[in-house]
Amino acid sequence: MRGFGELESVIMELVWDRSGQVTVREIFEQMQRDRTIAYTTVMSTMDNLHRKGWLDRVKDGKAYRYMATASREEYSARLMREALTGGRNTEAVLAHFVAEMDSGESELLRAIVKRLGNDAERAR
Amino acid sequence: MTAAAVVLLYSVVVAWRIPSVLTRLTETGSRPRLGIAVWLTAMASVLFSAAVSLFFLIHAAVDGWTHLALVICRSVSGGVCAPAVYTSALTALGIGFAALAAVLTTTALSWRCARRMRQAHHQTRAHADTARLAGRPLTQPLTNLPNAFVLNVPQLAAYCVPPGIIVVTTGALDLLAPAQLAAVLAHERAHLAGRHHLVTAITAGLAATFPGVPLFAHGKEEIARLAEMAADDVAARRAGRRPLVEALLAFGTGTAVRSPALAVAGYAVAARVDRLLTPARQGSRTRTAIGLGVVLAVLPALSGVVVAFAGAA
Repeated sequence: MRGFGELESVIMELVWDRSGQVTVREIFEQMQRDRTIAYTTVMSTMDNLHRKGWLDRVKDGKAYRYMATASREEYSARLMREALTGGRNTEAVLAHFVAEMDSGESELLRAIVKRLGNDAERAR
Repeated sequence: MTAAAVVLLYSVVVAWRIPSVLTRLTETGSRPRLGIAVWLTAMASVLFSAAVSLFFLIHAAVDGWTHLALVICRSVSGGVCAPAVYTSALTALGIGFAALAAVLTTTALSWRCARRMRQAHHQTRAHADTARLAGRPLTQPLTNLPNAFVLNVPQLAAYCVPPGIIVVTTGALDLLAPAQLAAVLAHERAHLAGRHHLVTAITAGLAATFPGVPLFAHGKEEIARLAEMAADDVAARRAGRRPLVEALLAFGTGTAVRSPALAVAGYAVAARVDRLLTPARQGSRTRTAIGLGVVLAVLPALSGVVVAFAGAA
């Protein structure tokens, strides 16, 4: 399962890097440079990515031409919106290192850091 | 009927009264894992006694109908419609309706809870998938983790997503020194290793299903807080107390921090910083442990005794 997920990442990476339409053959040929992989594996993985909504495709003769549905930056921004709204729009279970805090709390922490900085200056 | 009422009353009392007792025991955050166990035990014992109460009610309803049938039979064979028939009919109907309402409510609540947890599970899975594909593997000399991904965004965030993905933003990487990053990653790995997401999913589901019940509403918050502290303890052991405090302050203020110390109190993150800087003395840790241990042993036993007594009566 992890190997399969890794394949998806590699293919998305290649599609994003080319930033246009690509065929399964083009991706397959590029992937062959640093690994042995079957053409059908690449095809079915790209088909999966299409089914999951990561890739769009248009028929071109007998084959499909694939393109990313959104840029990597757009996906990242979407994740951040989901992660940082404090669970208002999503019920995803995420464990943040530091939860959202009110201005009073960050003000307090800022004051502490400032005081510590001053102490360190004086000690020098 | 009485048995059902007694057991229900017991679970209501526990659900409304125990949170303040537990909060007093767990507010310092010493022994966080034991604290989580005690909160979960309290929730389980309330759910258990509520379920037993429902069972008693159904039992009473079924009994009521057979009793009613018996009374009707006798009155028919005797040829008169005794007042006993009316009383018996009214009681049987009343208990029957109460049982029916209770069963329907329980079914609806369970269904809602299950649906919410399934939805949360799907959204979590989708978030993890997206992070895995949109992020780049984190490769740092100090902390080469197989399942840590970097999102190229300026925001400050570090979090983990079950089943086992850690996400760090470039905003966070820019802010943190290597040792501080190691502390953050150790904290997130502790969440994953401790399966805190399972606990969070359950308590969030219960809190949403029973809004306004203090044990579930307040317990969810307290357990989340204790889980952070449990992860802090592991991270402090693995990566050092100092870099962890620095990382907490850096995240809290959005500015790089190089040398902290001293005490703060009153807020969630501030409380975590405070706790790491001034660990509780052994005596108070032991007292907390004993208090929590007593609750942990007494609550299930008490539920059992109440149920047994009510059942026998």
